[in-house]
This record gives sequence, structure tokens and C-alpha cells, in this order.
Amino acid sequence: MRAQIEQHLSACPACRKFAANQRTVWQALDSWEPAEVSIDFDRKLYQRIEQQVTWWTRLTRPLNPLFRNAVPIAAAAGLVMVACFLMNRPATAPPVTPSEESAVVETLQPEQVETALEDMETLREFSHLVRPDSAEPKM
Amino acid sequence: MKERVKTDMGSLAATLDFDAELMLRVKEGDGASFTILLEKHRLPVIHFLYRMVQNQGVAEELAQEVFLRVYRSRESYEPTAKFTTWLFRIATHLALNSLRDGKNQRLEERLDDDSSGAPVRQVTDKKPSVEQYMVNQARLDEVRRAVATLPEKQRAAVLMHKYEEMEYSQIAKVLNCSESAVKSLLFRAYETLRALLAHMA
Repeated sequence: MRAQIEQHLSACPACRKFAANQRTVWQALDSWEPAEVSIDFDRKLYQRIEQQVTWWTRLTRPLNPLFRNAVPIAAAAGLVMVACFLMNRPATAPPVTPSEESAVVETLQPEQVETALEDMETLREFSHLVRPDSAEPKM
Repeated sequence: MKERVKTDMGSLAATLDFDAELMLRVKEGDGASFTILLEKHRLPVIHFLYRMVQNQGVAEELAQEVFLRVYRSRESYEPTAKFTTWLFRIATHLALNSLRDGKNQRLEERLDDDSSGAPVRQVTDKKPSVEQYMVNQARLDEVRRAVATLPEKQRAAVLMHKYEEMEYSQIAKVLNCSESAVKSLLFRAYETLRALLAHMA
């Protein structure tokens, strides 16, 4: 491949000029060396990295080992508490006590009482009509 | 499961490159691995940035930001590409932003400023004469100006190709474009440089 290119270059002035110009560009770019890096580059960088550490991290850093162990300890303690609760739970359900709401007696108006009595009387008469042989319904 | 994922990541990194493996160690809290990465890539990154922005102070400032971002991203780092690809993607992004932000004032200043701190390679004599020094300075200035005339992406592509010896595929990943686009960028860039620097032969 290289031999082919060299052969072509020797026969083609245009490509020879192109290659020579490109070589000049490479050499020119090679001559451009950057400056020395500041000696305190790393120090400044690590300083900036340190500044990135927030006040919260600084505050909690000494407690990190504790926090790291806190989760499994808390989980274990939770499990123990649940187990104790289940073991100490009574076998039967406690008696149901009527709620306070159900014990409240509503105050009735005289009209309501009168209406209710009338209704009861109507019902009694109705049962006489249905069963005229007995005053009381048989169970 | 977590262990398996970690192992898979590790083997992936190993197949990619040693730097990615070091970065995975940084992710796990190994500060020494970060120091190794810094030692290894400090100069290439600073030199690349210097040639991009042509100002040593700005280049070092940007390089600090590059490594700071690398450190900050350690927890979310995944070795999906070569470490240097990722590193130079950050560096290129910052360089392009810097050029766009302060393009008009800074570029002119530094091209006229001889105190950029960049030494000229002395091939023939370690103690050149005043004349030789001036000639070298003039040549260097010409090279810097020629590179500065390149559009930003062409410049980045040439610098990665010439000085970092990156392959087209890697440059494409850094610049987030296709390989053919990189070839096109390089062709046009070298065409411009040939036109500007050919007389230096």
C-alpha cells in the first residue's frame, strides 16, 4: 500500500504537492507545545472537591458508621416488637361494648309519641281483622 | 443480584479499559484511584483545553472543572464507553461553552498576547539566538492563529486527531456525531490549515 502511494506520488505532481503541504501542517502543529501546568493545580482541585462536601456531610460523617448499622438494627427490633405483640395478644376477642352514640336517647316530641301510639293502635286493629279468633297472634 | 450486577459492570469495564475500572473504584469510594486517573489524564486534558481556548489560565480553570465533574459524577458513572471518550466529551463541552461565552474579547486578546506562556520547541539549539527566538515565536503565532481560525468543532476534531491520536470513531463519540461527519470536519480543517501554513515549509 505504502509502495503504491509512493509510486503514485512520484508520478503525480498534484498529489506530491498535497502530501508535502500536509507534512508541513503536521510539522507546524508539532512545534506548538503547551505551557507548563501550574504546580498547585492538584492542590486547587482537591480544595474544590473538598468544598463540594456539604455541611450536612461534614456533620454526619462521624455518625456514618452508626447510620450504616442503624437500618438492620431497626429492622431486627421491629421484627421482635411485632413478634412480642402477636404472642401477647389475647385468644378471644374482647367483649364489644356499645358505643356511647348508641346509648344516647333522643328526646322525643309529644307529637311523635302520639303518632307512634296511633300507629300501634292501627296495627292492633288490623291484626284483629286478619285473625278475628284470637286477640294475640300465635307464635 | 447486586453483586452480580457489580461483577458484570467490572468485567465490562475491564473489557473497555483500565481507566473505566479505576473510575468504578472511585465510585466505590476509592480516592486513590481518582488520584491515578488525575495523574494520567491531567496533561492531555489541560493541553487539549489550552489549544482549544489558547489561554493557559482559562485552560487550567476548565480542566479543574472537568475533573471536578468527573469526581461529582462518580456515583452515577456507568462504563458504557471508553473513559477518555467520556472525559474528552466533558472537556470539549466546557471548551465550546467557554469559547462561545467569551469569544469576542478573549480570542483577540490572547492572539495578540505574547505572554501566553507556551514554549516553542527548540529542535536545533537549546539556547537560540534572539533572531531564532523571534522567528520561532512568529511561526508559533502563525500556527496558533491558523488553528484559531478553524470553526470550534473542526478545531476540536483536529486537536483530538493530531495530539490525542484518537480514532475517527472515538472523536465521533466525543463530538456526538457520525464518523463520516468527523472525516468531513477533519478534511475541511486540514484543508484550511494547508492553505494557511503550507508556506512554512
